[in-house]
Amino acid sequence: MSAYSCAQVRDLAPELALGILGGAERAEAILHVNGCARCQAVVGEFAEAADALPLLAREVEPPPGFEDRVLATLRAAGRRNVRRWIAAVAVAAAAAAIVSITIVRVVEAGNETTPQAMQPAPVEARMVGAGGRSAGWAYVTNGRSLAVAVDYGVPSGTYSIAVQPRGSSAVTIGRMAVVEGRGSWTGRSGPELGPGATIALIDAAGGETCRGTVRARS
Amino acid sequence: MWSVSDDALVAGLAAGDTDAASAFVRRFQRRVFGLARTIVTDDRAAEDVAQEAFVRAWRHAAAYDPRRGSVVGWLLTITRNLAIDAVRVRRPTSLDPSVLVGLDRAGTDRSPEDLAQLGDDTAQLRAALGRLPPEQHRAIVLAGLFGYTAREIEGIPLGTAKTRIRTALGRLRAALVDQEEAE
Repeated sequence: MSAYSCAQVRDLAPELALGILGGAERAEAILHVNGCARCQAVVGEFAEAADALPLLAREVEPPPGFEDRVLATLRAAGRRNVRRWIAAVAVAAAAAAIVSITIVRVVEAGNETTPQAMQPAPVEARMVGAGGRSAGWAYVTNGRSLAVAVDYGVPSGTYSIAVQPRGSSAVTIGRMAVVEGRGSWTGRSGPELGPGATIALIDAAGGETCRGTVRARS
Repeated sequence: MWSVSDDALVAGLAAGDTDAASAFVRRFQRRVFGLARTIVTDDRAAEDVAQEAFVRAWRHAAAYDPRRGSVVGWLLTITRNLAIDAVRVRRPTSLDPSVLVGLDRAGTDRSPEDLAQLGDDTAQLRAALGRLPPEQHRAIVLAGLFGYTAREIEGIPLGTAKTRIRTALGRLRAALVDQEEAE
C-alpha cells in the first residue's frame, strides 16, 4: 500500500504523466494510482496532453540511406532472435527429451511477443465485413504466426478469432478487443494456415463480423 | 496496399513482414528523426536514436495496444525516451530559446498534405502552446520534451516550476478536449 494520499498524488500527477518524477516518488505515486481509480483518471487526463507533446516536434528528413540502414538492422536483429531460439531449443533438447514439449511451448510463447525474423510473409488476407467493405488485414508468417488488425467498420467489443484451414473445421485461437473500430492481435495458430484458409472475427453472439481468405502475397 | 492504417502496419511489423516494416519506417521516419534531432541536437546522434526507436518498436510491436494511444504517439514516446537517455549525461545547462519557440510553428518544408494532416492532429495543441506565457511554455517544453525534472528547470524555485508545469499541461489538456468536442 502506498504511503501517499490522493492529495499528494494529484499534486504530482502532471510530473508523473510527463515521466519526470524521481524513482522513490514515482514508485509511491504509481503504487497509489494502481489502486485508486479517481487518481488514475486524473493522471490519465494529464497523460493525454503529455503524450501529445512529442507530436509537435518539427519533422526532419533523415540522412540518405536511413531507411535501408534501419531495415538492415531489423533483419540482423531478427536473425539473432532466430539463433537464440534455435540455441535454446537445442540445449534444452539435449538435456532431456522429456522437457521437449515444454521447450516448444516456450518457443511458441516467445513468438507471441517477439517478432519473427524479417523475411517475406508468404500469405496475407484482407479482412472483409458486411457489404464487402474492407475491415483490415491479416498476415501469416511461417504458416502459423498470425497477426490480425482491423481498423474500419468493426463495432467495439471482444471478438473470437476463428481460423479454418481449407478442408478442415474452424478452430478458435484467441480473442481480440476492438475499441472505436480499431484492434489488433498477434499469436500462434494451431492449424497451419495456407492459401485458402479463412480467418474470421466472431462476435459475442456467434455472428461473423468479418472474414479474410488467405492468399499468396502478390 | 500500403495505404493501410497505422495499426495494420504495426501488426505486419509484429509478424515480421518486410513490406510492412519498410512502409512503417517510410511513414514515420521524418517524425522520428525530427523529434530525435530536436532533443539531441546532433544529426549523428539523432540517427542512432531514431534507428534504435524503430528497433524497439519492432521488438515490441506485438505488445502495442491501440486502446492506449495512437501508433505515432507510441512510437514518438519511445523516441523521446531514448533521446532523453542519450542526452542525459551531456545535457546543456540552458537551451537555445529559438529551439523552444520553433516548436509552436509548422516546419517550412511540409507538403500541403502534411499540413492538412498536421491541422487535424496537432493544430489546437500547437496553438495552445503558442498562447502560453513564455515562462510556462519554457517549463512545459523542457519537462515534456526534454525530460527535465521540476528541480532541473534552472533559475526558479521548485514550487514555481511545479506550478508552471501543472498550469501549462492543464491548458494543453483543455485544448485537446476542445479539439475532441469540435470533432
